[in-house]
Amino acid sequence: MDNILEVKDLELHYFTQKGVVKAVDRLSFHLKKGETLGVVGESGCGKTTMATALLKMPTPPGRIVGGQILLDGDDIMPLSESEIRRRVRWERISMVFQGAMNCLTPVYTIEKQMRETLQQHRQMDKAETAERMRKYLNLVGLSDDILKRYPHELSGGMKQRVVIATGLFLEPKVVICDEPTTALDVVVQAEIINLLKSLKEELGLSFIFITHDLSIEAEVSDRIMVMYAGRAVEIGTNEQIYGPQGSAHPYTQRLLGATPRLHEEVKELSFIPGTPPDLLDPPSGCRFHPRCPVVMERCPHDDVWVREVEPEHMVACWRC
Amino acid sequence: MYWRYAVRRILYAVVMYAIVIFIFSALFNAVAETTQMAQITEQVNAESRGVQQASQMRPEEIQQWRADRRTQLIQQYHLDEPIVSRIFWRTLNTLTFNLGQSTQIRSSAGENDVWLVIKERIPRTLILFMTAVVIDVLIGVWLGLRKARKAGGLMDRTTSIVTMVLYGLPSWWLGMLMIMIFAFTFPIFPSGSMHSTPAPTGALANFVDLLYHMALPVIALVLLRFWGRAYITRNIVLGTLQEDFIMSARARGITERKVLYGHTLRSSAPPIVTMSLLALLASFGGALIFEGIFSWPGMGNLYWVAVQQNDVPVLMGNLALTTGLYIAGLALLDLIYGLLDPRVKVGGKA
Amino acid sequence: MKRKDMSQLRAFWNEFKRVKFGIVGLVLFVVFVLIVLLEPVLMPYRDANDRWRDMTYWLDSPRNAKPVWVNWFTAKDYAVAEVLEPTSVTESQVGSVRMITMEFDYDFHYQRPPSDLQLVTRLTGNASVQMELIRPDGETLSYQRSTSSSGTRELRLSIAQNLQDKVFRLAIPFADADVIAVENPETIDAVATLFAVAGPGMLRDTEPLEGNYVCRLTVALGSSESSVDAAHVIIAGGVAGWMGTDASKRDIWSGLIAGTKWALLIGLLTSFVSVAVGVVYGVVAGYFGGWIDSMMNRVFEVFLSMPLLPILIVMSAVFKPSIWTMIIMMCLFFWVGPVKTVRSMALQIKENTYIEAAKALGASHRRIVFRHLLPQLVPYAFATMALSVPAAIVYEASISLIGLGDATVVTWGQILQDAYASGAVLQGTWWWVVPPGIAIALMGMTFAFIGFAMDTILNPKLRTR
Repeated sequence: MDNILEVKDLELHYFTQKGVVKAVDRLSFHLKKGETLGVVGESGCGKTTMATALLKMPTPPGRIVGGQILLDGDDIMPLSESEIRRRVRWERISMVFQGAMNCLTPVYTIEKQMRETLQQHRQMDKAETAERMRKYLNLVGLSDDILKRYPHELSGGMKQRVVIATGLFLEPKVVICDEPTTALDVVVQAEIINLLKSLKEELGLSFIFITHDLSIEAEVSDRIMVMYAGRAVEIGTNEQIYGPQGSAHPYTQRLLGATPRLHEEVKELSFIPGTPPDLLDPPSGCRFHPRCPVVMERCPHDDVWVREVEPEHMVACWRC
Repeated sequence: MYWRYAVRRILYAVVMYAIVIFIFSALFNAVAETTQMAQITEQVNAESRGVQQASQMRPEEIQQWRADRRTQLIQQYHLDEPIVSRIFWRTLNTLTFNLGQSTQIRSSAGENDVWLVIKERIPRTLILFMTAVVIDVLIGVWLGLRKARKAGGLMDRTTSIVTMVLYGLPSWWLGMLMIMIFAFTFPIFPSGSMHSTPAPTGALANFVDLLYHMALPVIALVLLRFWGRAYITRNIVLGTLQEDFIMSARARGITERKVLYGHTLRSSAPPIVTMSLLALLASFGGALIFEGIFSWPGMGNLYWVAVQQNDVPVLMGNLALTTGLYIAGLALLDLIYGLLDPRVKVGGKA
Repeated sequence: MKRKDMSQLRAFWNEFKRVKFGIVGLVLFVVFVLIVLLEPVLMPYRDANDRWRDMTYWLDSPRNAKPVWVNWFTAKDYAVAEVLEPTSVTESQVGSVRMITMEFDYDFHYQRPPSDLQLVTRLTGNASVQMELIRPDGETLSYQRSTSSSGTRELRLSIAQNLQDKVFRLAIPFADADVIAVENPETIDAVATLFAVAGPGMLRDTEPLEGNYVCRLTVALGSSESSVDAAHVIIAGGVAGWMGTDASKRDIWSGLIAGTKWALLIGLLTSFVSVAVGVVYGVVAGYFGGWIDSMMNRVFEVFLSMPLLPILIVMSAVFKPSIWTMIIMMCLFFWVGPVKTVRSMALQIKENTYIEAAKALGASHRRIVFRHLLPQLVPYAFATMALSVPAAIVYEASISLIGLGDATVVTWGQILQDAYASGAVLQGTWWWVVPPGIAIALMGMTFAFIGFAMDTILNPKLRTR
């Protein structure tokens, strides 16, 4: 199988006091070996939730209620929590978090946290862990004297690199990057992006790259999935989405259209009217229909899911 | 880094202490001086009798001698100077533990010096209080963690209710109850004081006897207070559990046990320590009353005795020293916090 | 802003309603208020408030009597304290002397005799008194006394104190000879013997003689100015009142009821004033910032360094305050509680744009503080007030316990002080020690429920539903 990760009809619901929120609604996609799949969408469209689902770690009161997650052919859904913890999480699929600000425990040194993770998964003695940590820290461009430091002593960029090193040093197959550059300044952003790219080449990793920044997405991704209101609305190659022909789904088109181009004259910023839907009481049928500029009669009535409209290009729209 | 923080904190405590003692000296100046004048008169009388017997002075000479001696003493105690100056001297004396003579109370060695009277009681109060604090914190934090783990569960809610039910209960009243039940109705424990009479011989027997006498007061103190500790711990831990780094640790496959007792507890330690010790320092006052109920010969008990015998110098000296201990406790709290929180211990960015 | 504040408060109330123990707290609070309002109805001794320390008010009660409901739990019932009025009064004239005969019936159906039986009456002028106590088995004890004085005086005859002699002689025909040889009127329990079955154990191992006892009082009045009135027989029973009596014969239940209003007053007044001051202090410090903030912080820190109870003790010992002065003293130190939190909240709110907007519109500082900042702090202020009430009550009780309280008011702390000073703890007079403490605890619990309920609402991440 060429697909290192296959997700079929994934459903994650939040069971809140006010009702059920379908944060991830019958999501299906695949990730090929060695490629980067970018995931874009507005805030609240379900990107991060999807990431927690892939690690089978939904934030309470969330629960995964259906679907399959095939990691290298194995369905990890029926596995118990302890199995996942021992053999899936971080071993086969890891995550580089957003806002590296707060995902390192403030009271432990970097060394302690990294070593703890290593020893949790591998039978390594102190020397072996030291070597592994040094190797990966160097890989991300850090010297190993940061090991003795506490998280608050590092800059944002350094913390992000530590998080990347930690995400990689068990050499998992799939790495989910959840907005790894969001809180950083532009120069550091560029460094991190280049770093990720080179690591992908060197270590033969497959990335899922989540961001809301379309320009970065264009830089790093081979294929792109656009999410809206918990559903995938378009999945295609970089060329198909960003290319001159333009993408297929009206939402994607407006999303791209809303980004002002540097070389064009911009008289007025275009935007998508309306607001993202309230997932407690989402619109019927196609979730985008209240804001869609080309809405048809059947859109409010019939749910629509991604279908292949050309090779490697899937769109969830009644127009296609 | 830390040493700088520690030194500054200690200096700050000393300054605060000086200011507070100054305020006390001003507040209680009037009554302290009345007592002092009375003591001076007594001293002059006693001395003049001795002089009369020893030498052969004529009555007018005795009178003169008395007047002179009186003036001399008044000058010695700075009582002839303007009021601000007097307050200042009083403050200085208090700060150097020059607390004067008691009017009634004596130390176990029969001494009159207020400082000595109080000094021998300090360790006794500390033993009782510290033991109770340590047990209180251990049980309270353990219970709080369990509550946080199953937050919202039956145990959590029940213990929270118990916390609230016991919230307004004075610890000394519980002490009275326990004495009634466990010292009289079922005579298991002694009803008070620190040692049996006659005191047992041998270090080990003495130690056991001490524990035997400490049992009831410590139980009463702990029984009431650890619920509050548990409640605070639970809330802080719950707050920490929602932090991103906990989710991150779980995602890395760290066992739940390590996440809870390692990452969570360790991160929660600074605020837990602060809140706990603050609450405990606040209960310090109640513990003083407590000593009276149990006739535990510490500083708290001294308040009772001094009030009953209206011994003003002892009362004020005791207040000064109690405040000193209190401020030292606050400083200790901050120092421990500094040790536990690496942001303070190590400080700054690389 | 007003409408927003109102709806915020209403939303707060709606949330509060859902927390169960908060409602329990409110209900208890209402109960306490009702107790205070219904005080005249609830107190059997109406003047307990003013005459708590007046020994003469309590003369007719037994000493250290247990609560009446103790009888529900014991096989051997204690005699219930009673005051008997005459069941019959007859007058007759013998020459120039007026004879008044009063009869009192006492139905003794208990297994434990009372601690005393007293005949009390007021006499004026020349009067001769004869008292007879007729037991159910016919044995009679009689006593005579002549008094003459023109004034009015009280005559109080007590079996336990005045008539042991007579009781002893009553028992002699029946009791065990060995016992008679050893005992004498001072060593026997006269009242127990009086109420004991006539038999060998009459002096020592008494068995109660149940039945109807009659006390007959015959007064011979010598002249027309002489008179007798207010005659009654007191049974100083083993149980009396809802909560028994203390060593000074005071009805503890009345004391508890009387203390309720003081507890509420001390608690609410102290916490309200001190929290109000503390909140305003914190807001001003946080809002104005700069040197004002620094200075206020310094002052605040000095107060923080002072241990409250020892200071209160010494101040009370030196200045001997009344209850009101004590409240003021407590307020002087309680205000520091909310300052830190309120200041940081004020700092946060200050950064909001609508504050900037208000300033741009020309709003004065006072307006911003009172209209925009303070209303947001109201829920927190209430929670803090609720949680401060128990502390204030306990402090007052502690000061009273050590003997420095205001002895002119009846607070639960004062009752406990009397108990402790009289050795109730050592003697096991639990009905004196336990109820006031439970009362303090209950009131503390009430405000804890209310305060913690508010606390849970204000900190949503602590809710676990």
